[in-house]
Amino acid sequence: MRVNPNMVPDILADMQQSQSAVNTALQQVATGKSVTVPSDNPAASAEMVQNTIETANVDQYTKNVTGVLSMVQTADSALGSVVTSLTKAVSLGTEGANGTTSASDLQSIAEEVQGILESVVSQANTSYQGSYLFGGTENSSAPYTASSSSSSGYTYNGNDNVNSVAVGDDMSIQVNLPGSQIFSSSGSDVLGSLSSLVSALQSGSTTDIESATAAVSTALNFVSQQQVFYSNTESQLDSQETNLQQETVNLTSQQNSLVGVDEAQAATELSQAETANSAAEAAAAKVLPNTLLNYLVPSQ
Amino acid sequence: MPDLIAMGGLNTSLLIGLEALNVSQSALDATSNNIANSDTAGYTREVPQITENPETVSGNTVTGGGVSLNDLESVRDELLNLQIQQQTSAQSSADTESSALDQIQTYFPTSSSSSSGNDIASALSNFSSSLTQLSASPSSTTAQEGVISSGQDLAKAFNTAANGLTTVQSGMNTKVTQTVAQINSLTQQIAKLNGQLSQLTAAGQDGGTVEDQLDEDVQQLSKLTGISITQSSDGEVITTGNGTALVMGNKSYSLQTTTGSDGTQHVLDSNGNDITSTLQGGQLGGAIQIRDQVIPGYLTSLNTLASDFASAFNAAQAEGYDSNGNVGEDFFSVPSSGAAVGITVSITDPSEIAISSDGSAGSNGNVANLSAALTNELSSGETPSQTYSDLVYQVGDDASNASTQSTAIGQNITRLTDQQSAVSGVSIDEETTNLIRYQTAYEAAARIVSTIQQLGQVTINMVS
Repeated sequence: MRVNPNMVPDILADMQQSQSAVNTALQQVATGKSVTVPSDNPAASAEMVQNTIETANVDQYTKNVTGVLSMVQTADSALGSVVTSLTKAVSLGTEGANGTTSASDLQSIAEEVQGILESVVSQANTSYQGSYLFGGTENSSAPYTASSSSSSGYTYNGNDNVNSVAVGDDMSIQVNLPGSQIFSSSGSDVLGSLSSLVSALQSGSTTDIESATAAVSTALNFVSQQQVFYSNTESQLDSQETNLQQETVNLTSQQNSLVGVDEAQAATELSQAETANSAAEAAAAKVLPNTLLNYLVPSQ
Repeated sequence: MPDLIAMGGLNTSLLIGLEALNVSQSALDATSNNIANSDTAGYTREVPQITENPETVSGNTVTGGGVSLNDLESVRDELLNLQIQQQTSAQSSADTESSALDQIQTYFPTSSSSSSGNDIASALSNFSSSLTQLSASPSSTTAQEGVISSGQDLAKAFNTAANGLTTVQSGMNTKVTQTVAQINSLTQQIAKLNGQLSQLTAAGQDGGTVEDQLDEDVQQLSKLTGISITQSSDGEVITTGNGTALVMGNKSYSLQTTTGSDGTQHVLDSNGNDITSTLQGGQLGGAIQIRDQVIPGYLTSLNTLASDFASAFNAAQAEGYDSNGNVGEDFFSVPSSGAAVGITVSITDPSEIAISSDGSAGSNGNVANLSAALTNELSSGETPSQTYSDLVYQVGDDASNASTQSTAIGQNITRLTDQQSAVSGVSIDEETTNLIRYQTAYEAAARIVSTIQQLGQVTINMVS
């Protein structure tokens, strides 16, 4: 049986193959990735499309949570101040209604309550990064402005709508309550009750002062209830932030298992490929130059 | 009488010696030609066919008649050649497809979340997160501009991928024209060699160099397109895989190319029939497969995705109000054909994004609808990103299959070539051994001649 006398093409093919194995192993070690083009692993490449989009989204959801959280905290602390102010107004009203306060003292109490009313209006007009927090979705201008036609002396310019912010796939959190629901609700009108208290104190009627103080007290309870919405939102945002952190970890680990390399394994494969390549080269160098001519002594 | 017999015997020996010299000389010629061509592509080793001459019978004495050289015979295995040609066609087709798909898949890179590439996956993810950002900051001009610019990037990513596919497609189109020209010049040459070979065969001679060249040319031809070969009395008959004649005996039939109604180059046989869709194998078959099947398939997916997604997003725009309180206008504009290559963002003013659901500037109510266009199912029943990952999978799978196929066929060819080389290849060791054999034989034959010459001298001296 005659054997193939020309080993060059076979040896060349072998060396190319082992060289290409070295290149692949080197690339994996250098880039830390086992998949760089779809043909390396079509299924993993397809899954990476989802992973990439999801990772970017989770990243942005996390930023949304942080941004929204500080907005909600601002609103929460504004309502906190309102509660403090209203508590003060209730105690002033109670003081004015005890029937022993002089008319001049009632006047100064009325002025003090008027100051509280203005401070509450200013809290109701709180803005965060240029947007008013209590105007519903109409947040580019101050929700409460002075108006002589209104019984409370202030008119609401906002609307009754709310915004929800995306903080997860299929998860959005309502981030505001309209001012109409907090400060000028028909059942417990904060601004209206304060304004009535001022008038009652100015008029000096104990009965009026008592009923106005009771209305402010009702408003105080109502605002405290509304404040709960914001603290609930804050805790929802906090727990969502934790979820998102966990999701980021999951996505990163999924990415590693799809297209990453095991460093130790990649390094081992590289050194194996290098050894195989050297062996192929050494074998070629030994075999190729040999023919019978090397051993024939030229005739004298 | 004894002298006469002796003289006759000496002449016979002299003639035998001379013939032996000639045969050794020819065998040395064949050996040196083999050595000279040991690295020539397509060369088939030649072996001298040496036979003994008829013996002469004189009474009871039988005398050998010496030696003569019949022929130098090329050692070839036609069946192996045929198998190699078939595998070469298949490999060349797979190689053409593989290299085109390698180019194509650079437009569909495996994305990673850290990359900010301009491929569709990265662009989709940036667009998606810009909308998510808008949800938290609906009034921020920066967030609004982010949506416009990432929308433009997404449109550009579609444009780039579609243009990339079209570029590869037109490259394949050029390859069709070039390959047909190469096929025509080869078939002419093959027909000429076929004519020469049939003359040699008719004269009872070995094909030798002509057949080597013919085999080499047919091998080249099989690289260009899939062929089928039969033998006729006029030599080889070569047709394309589906039977279109390329060479019959000493006649060749040129293929032609013409621009078809679809703008691509179509291949016609010598009678003007369009045979484009029947061509398989070789560079030509591979190029046509990529140009007419693979790329149009990808482009259709890409166009459907671009057009469906744009409609869904525009519909979401129309559900809300822009910052000026108007109903949202189309965000993307897509041409009716070639959606992926032609998609653009039609609005430039950030205030035209339909963010609001109630007409007030501070509402973000419609952002959820805009975002949902990215995650809702399109008419295909899949979300935009699922549709795109399907395409990435398809491209990757096609590229990986073509390359695997090419490697597998390559191993077949290596095995077949080994076998062919074992039959037809020149072995330096063997030729060196032959060189020694024929040299020794030549020296011995020369010794016969000089011995007879001395004997003749002795005889002449006896007479004088």
